Amino acid sequence: MPETNGCIYGYIAEFEDSESLLEAAHRTREAGFRRARGHSPYYVEGLADALGDNTGDLIAWYVLGGILLGGVAFFLLQFITGAVWYPLNIGARPIVAWQAWMIITFEGSVLGGGLAALLGLVLQIQLPLPYHPIFNAPDFHLASSSRFFLSIEARDPLFDEEGTWQFLESLEPTKVSEVTC
Amino acid sequence: MQIFRPGVNTVAKISILAGALVTVLVLNFLFVQDRSPYSRARAGIAVAQPVRFSHQLHSDQLNISCNYCHASANEYAYAGIPDTHTCMSCHSQIAVYSELLEPVRTSYETGDPLVWNKVHDLAEHVYFNHGVHVQNGVGCETCHGRVDQMALVWQAETMTMAWCLECHFAPEDFIRPADEIFTFGYEPPIDQAVLGEQLLEEYEINPEGLGDCWVCHR
Amino acid sequence: MSSQSIPQQAPAPPLPRLGEITETVTNTIFGKAPLWWLIAFGISSALAGAFVLVLGAVALFGTGLWGINVPIVWGMGITNLVFWIGIGHAGTFISAFLLLMRQSWRNAFSRYAEAMTLFALATAGMFPLFHVGRPEWIFYFAPYPNTMILNPQWLSPLVWDAIAISTYGGISAIFWFLDLIPDIAAMRDKAKRPIPRAFYGFLALGWRSDSNHWERLHKTAYILAALATPLVISVHSVVGLDFAIGNLPGWHHSIFPPYFVAGAIFSGLAMTVIVGIVLRSGYEGLKDFITMDHIDKALKLMLITGLLVTYGYMAETFGGWYKADAFELPLIIERAIGPYAPFYLAMLFFNCILIQLLWFKPVRKNIALILVICVGILIGMWLERFVIVSVSLSYTYLAPTWEVFNFTFWDILTIFGPFGFFFAQFLVFIRFLPSLPISETQQHAVEVAHA
Repeated sequence: MPETNGCIYGYIAEFEDSESLLEAAHRTREAGFRRARGHSPYYVEGLADALGDNTGDLIAWYVLGGILLGGVAFFLLQFITGAVWYPLNIGARPIVAWQAWMIITFEGSVLGGGLAALLGLVLQIQLPLPYHPIFNAPDFHLASSSRFFLSIEARDPLFDEEGTWQFLESLEPTKVSEVTC
Repeated sequence: MQIFRPGVNTVAKISILAGALVTVLVLNFLFVQDRSPYSRARAGIAVAQPVRFSHQLHSDQLNISCNYCHASANEYAYAGIPDTHTCMSCHSQIAVYSELLEPVRTSYETGDPLVWNKVHDLAEHVYFNHGVHVQNGVGCETCHGRVDQMALVWQAETMTMAWCLECHFAPEDFIRPADEIFTFGYEPPIDQAVLGEQLLEEYEINPEGLGDCWVCHR
Repeated sequence: MSSQSIPQQAPAPPLPRLGEITETVTNTIFGKAPLWWLIAFGISSALAGAFVLVLGAVALFGTGLWGINVPIVWGMGITNLVFWIGIGHAGTFISAFLLLMRQSWRNAFSRYAEAMTLFALATAGMFPLFHVGRPEWIFYFAPYPNTMILNPQWLSPLVWDAIAISTYGGISAIFWFLDLIPDIAAMRDKAKRPIPRAFYGFLALGWRSDSNHWERLHKTAYILAALATPLVISVHSVVGLDFAIGNLPGWHHSIFPPYFVAGAIFSGLAMTVIVGIVLRSGYEGLKDFITMDHIDKALKLMLITGLLVTYGYMAETFGGWYKADAFELPLIIERAIGPYAPFYLAMLFFNCILIQLLWFKPVRKNIALILVICVGILIGMWLERFVIVSVSLSYTYLAPTWEVFNFTFWDILTIFGPFGFFFAQFLVFIRFLPSLPISETQQHAVEVAHA
């Protein structure tokens, strides 16, 4: 339990491998912590779920919306420009040739879906965020290559300086540190 | 270890929004600029001419018909700029010593034509026949604006393709009776919707196909 | 190939210590540029310079510099466009389709193949830009609100093509960059000097390996893969339609779209394998990650697509004969025995006969032979595009206009220049960004170790 110099963002525990992190995540959730996050160099299946996050599904809705919007937009683009604004008779082909428009409608829906996925992702994970207090944690630069971390924010209703520190130590990490903000 | 200071977060967010905003503004500017009568046609800005000829004086006050000077406008592809003789047909008697008319008299003496500056310069790939339009109920005013109110002439309309097509797609909204072609400040005597249909029949205009490429681009 | 759920790594390399993969990959970037890189970059830049010269000359003096004229109005511009778009196809196919199929051997190729897609598209995009002759008016292809109320003709496959290819470029770039973010973060954390750290820090967008972020990124990657897979099929199908819709002997075949897709993946895989072999011999450390086993799997896939292409040739020839068209029959015979016979027969040799060697395991283990076959495929696929584009145009419905294509000096430069343009971009990429998907490779290595 170190000296706190005023402001702390939270505590962070360091683990050697993904299994211990996953195990620790389950126990953190059981202990009732709400604002806990795992940090791993690669995608650990079930880690976010273990910490009680299942809102990732929203992206699928964004994409569905994007697909529909993109498809409708590109179809209407062809309809309005090709059949309403300036219908041109080219070799007696039908003016409203919706079958032939399907290819661009398809491309439009894929484009809409892709852009919506990007937008949804950016809105949900709130990046870019070049500065974040978590980067103050010691050894955190290893989170992208070889170490696994579990952080609990001070904002968590269950957080108290002594108890949370002891709880993190009980998870048997290699190290527990304080993250200043 | 931190790489960036906390303020960079704000910079990042603002730069994304600003990037989007600037893109929208630039596109919007291009969109408006492309259609603006000022940037397309310098509308409202008179074109300097070698002689300060006033359409307002000749057309409005003196009530000389357009046809008197632009004699081929009725029947020929080119509306025609009057030669010096046309000017001198009056100005050998009127305002004979006017300094403003010095270039006209010089031209008359030497035989070198006056070099007027072109106001309406259509793109080269447009085949435009002036006579066809006059013969089919398009008034001078419809394309050239209130020339009778202009001391020196400017281009009143943008003359973009979309502008041409407005009438080519729906001539009934614009054409007028044959005796009103040279009228300025014309108001349709009856509802244009009714009049337009009547005139289409009168002029034997078939609006279908007027939007075809080859009509203007030969 | 589909029967294996988790593919066996043939001689399973010892599990790398966690972080070792990151170390190996980032070392290829933070170390000094190796000599072979400098030499390769020099050659590529010179060729790219030649390419820029061609494009500049074509823009200044007109497309007549290329040996195109009536009736052969599509020459090097379109041939190379189709060829380079094809090269781009393997990238998305590997990263998207194989991701959905849970083929983890894709990890060896996915990152740099996806980058290849982008650079191949950038290269391919140059050709229509300059082939139209008025690069400054290229935006007429776009349906932008203009004062002419004119818009692209939506019934034209060329317009479909422009839109399909730009969509493809956009989606590929998004997919590629999203996958890159965690690896750029790894670069950022490994960087020792302030400028690289700020550079990668900027690109990493503040990635903090957060579990929620991982979850969503993972989900997004799968969704994008599901979008990109039909897209990749559609793009080269539309390129095929450019020809199939044209009523010309040698073009008017319904087999074209699928046959073009197979050909595209075929040539793209060949390029991917060549680049993979160069990478693993250039960077000793990458040998453990781009293994012969991975190359073996890619070669098998190449063999399959090659057989599909062979079927395409047969169907095309059969179709031409079966149509009994008075102009198609002479075309089929003429291109096999006429002035174009060397092109056509070489194409058949490289694309249909040479690849049969890939049935044999020892061949798939012999680097030299693999390189010969892959380069052969690139030549063969280039010839295929030339045969389809220009040779078909030589025999139009108006027999008196029949011509034989004349290669000018500029045509030859146009064939080789783009390779420099492509590789110069690619070499810059491998100097600055991780050429392997670090996090996915790590994850896979851990999974294999536990299996």
